[in-house]
Amino acid sequence: MGKHLHEIRDPVHVFIRLDTDEREVLDSRPLQRLRNIHQLGLTYLLYPGATHRRFEHSLGVMELATRIFDVITDMYNICPDVQHILPPEDQRKYWRRVLRMAALCHDLGHLPFSHSADHKLFPDGWSHERMTAEIIRSKEMERVWSEITPPLRGEDIAKIAIGPRERQKVGLGQFNLWETILSEIIVGDTFGADRMDYLLRDSLHAGVAYGKFDHYRLVDTLRILPKGGSAEDSKEPTLGLLEGGIQSAEALLWARYFMYSQVYCHPVRRIYDIHLGDFLEKKMGKNKIPTKSDDFLALDDNKVLVWIRESVSNQKDQLNELAKRIFDRMHFKRVYGRNPEDQRINPQAADTIYKAACKKFGKDSIRYDAYKQKGGSQLFPVQLKDDTIQQSIELSATLEKVPIVFTEYVFIEDKHLNAAKAWLGKKHSEILKSRKETEE
Amino acid sequence: MKRLQREALILSLIENLLKNESWCGETHIQKSAYFLQELLHVPLGFEFILYKYGPFSFDLSDELVSMQADDIILLKLRPPYGPSVQPGTMAERLKNLYPKTLKRYEKEIVFVARELGGNGVGDLESIATALYVVRHKIKGKDDLQKRANCIREIKPHISLEQALTALQRQKEISDKASALLGV
Repeated sequence: MGKHLHEIRDPVHVFIRLDTDEREVLDSRPLQRLRNIHQLGLTYLLYPGATHRRFEHSLGVMELATRIFDVITDMYNICPDVQHILPPEDQRKYWRRVLRMAALCHDLGHLPFSHSADHKLFPDGWSHERMTAEIIRSKEMERVWSEITPPLRGEDIAKIAIGPRERQKVGLGQFNLWETILSEIIVGDTFGADRMDYLLRDSLHAGVAYGKFDHYRLVDTLRILPKGGSAEDSKEPTLGLLEGGIQSAEALLWARYFMYSQVYCHPVRRIYDIHLGDFLEKKMGKNKIPTKSDDFLALDDNKVLVWIRESVSNQKDQLNELAKRIFDRMHFKRVYGRNPEDQRINPQAADTIYKAACKKFGKDSIRYDAYKQKGGSQLFPVQLKDDTIQQSIELSATLEKVPIVFTEYVFIEDKHLNAAKAWLGKKHSEILKSRKETEE
Repeated sequence: MKRLQREALILSLIENLLKNESWCGETHIQKSAYFLQELLHVPLGFEFILYKYGPFSFDLSDELVSMQADDIILLKLRPPYGPSVQPGTMAERLKNLYPKTLKRYEKEIVFVARELGGNGVGDLESIATALYVVRHKIKGKDDLQKRANCIREIKPHISLEQALTALQRQKEISDKASALLGV
C-alpha cells in the first residue's frame, strides 16, 4: 500500500505534512511556479541569504493556518458566545481542507520577484489578488479540486485565500462570520498565518533576529472571542487570545515593526524594487503583464533575469540603462528621508522635496518611494482567567507603544548625489515652506 | 478629494463625536463616516463592505493609521473599553490648511456626530447594518420584518428586538438627514 501522508522538511516548521490529494495541488503548475518567485524580491542583493521563495512560504502558511484552525475549533476551546458561528461537526473537515488549500494557494498571483507595483504592471482592474483568485478558479485548478475527497469548491478556496479586503474588486461573494474567521486565520492583520510565517521565515533567511517570536505559545492561546465583554460592546466574534498569550502577541507585533523598519523598508531594497518596476514596465510595454493563465504562469524570476542579462549585454538595447541599475548595482542613492521635524513644517515634506528635485535635476534622475503601514491593529479581545473579556491594549504596557511604520524616500541618480546634497542643504527650509495648498 | 483634505474632514468628525460624548474608538468613526458618506453624501471616497461590526472600510482604517503616523490623531487609553481617538499635535495645522472644505461640510458632520455620538459599539453596529440592509439588500417597500431578519442573517448575534429598534432608529436618522439636505 502506498504512502498516504508525506513529509516535507522546512527550516521554520521542521516538518510539513500533506496527504496524497494535497500533494496533487502542490505538484500543479501554478504552485510549482512559486519555486521561481523570490519571496523578498531583490532583497538578496543586500541581505545575501534572502533567496527563499514563495513556494516554501506557502507551505509554511498552510502549516500554521492548520495549527490555528485545530486550536480554535477544539471543543474545549470554544467560548459559548461564539459557538453559533461554527459549522456542524461533519462540515468542519471540509472547511479545514479548504483552509489548508487556501493557505497553500494564497500567493499564486504574485508577479515575478513578488513585485508590488500591481497598478503599474497589471492591466487596469487587475491585481495579484485578482490573479490569485482567477488561477484558483481556473479550469486547470477546478479539475484538481474536483478530484479531492470530498471535492472542494474553488470559490470557497478563493474567498478564504483573498479575504474580505479585496472581495469586491476580485468579484467574490459576501463573507459570513465563519468565512470571515477562516480568512482572518490566513490574511488577518494581527494573527494571520501569512504574516507569522513571513516574519519568521524572512528573518531566518535574511540573517536578522528581529522577526522571531514564540509562535508555538501564540498559536496555542488563540481563540475565537466576542469583541468585548460589556453590554455596550459588539458580540461579533474575532480572533483573540487567552491572557497567557499576551507576551507572545507583544513579541509578534514588535517583530513586525522591526522587520518593516530594518528589512522590508530598507532604502536599498526599496530602490531596487523601483528599478525592477521601471524595467518590467518598459519591457511589457502597452500590453502589460499577461493575465491569460498560460502566459502568466510562464512568467517567473528566471525569465525576468534572462531579460535583464540580455539587456545588460547589449549596449544598444533600449533597456540597457535600466537593466544595469539592477545587474551592475548602479542603483539610485537616497538623498532624503521622511522625518518628524520636516513633517511639522510641511505635512507633505517628502513629496514637496521630490517635486523640487525633479525640477532641478530632471524627472528621470529622481525617484520617490513611500511605504505606509496598513491595518495591523494592536487591539484584540483577551480572555482572562475568570472568563471575562478585556481589550489587549489595557492589559499590555507595550502594545500601544509599537510605532507605526511610515517611510518615504527621495532617491537620485548617483552622478547627481553630491550636487543634490549641497542643493538640499542650502534650500531645504525654503523648499519645505514653498508649498501652498489649494482646496479645489 | 485630496488625501489631506479628506483627513481634515475625518478629524472634524472625530472632534464633533468627542463633543457629543462619544467614546470615539475606531468603530465609532467607521460607522459615523459610513453615515456621512452614504446618507449625507459627503464625498469621502471610501468603499464600505459588510465586515467588522457592520459596514466597514479598509481604506478608512488605513487612513486612520496614516493620520496616527502623522500625529494628526492619537490613541488615548480609557478603560474599560478600547482606546479613544483624540486630536494629535498636528491637528490644528491640518485644519488650517482646509478652512473652506471644513466649512462646506460642517452641517453634515455636526448632524452625524449629534445623531450617533451617544451610541456604543453594539448599537452602532446594528444601526449601520440596518442602513446597509435598507440601501443594498431590501430596498423599496418598507418591510420591517424582512429587513430585521436580513440583519439577523448577517449578524446572528444581534437579537430580533435589537434589529427592529435599529431599523426604527435608522429611519429616524434618514428622515432627519433628508430634511437637512432639503430632499
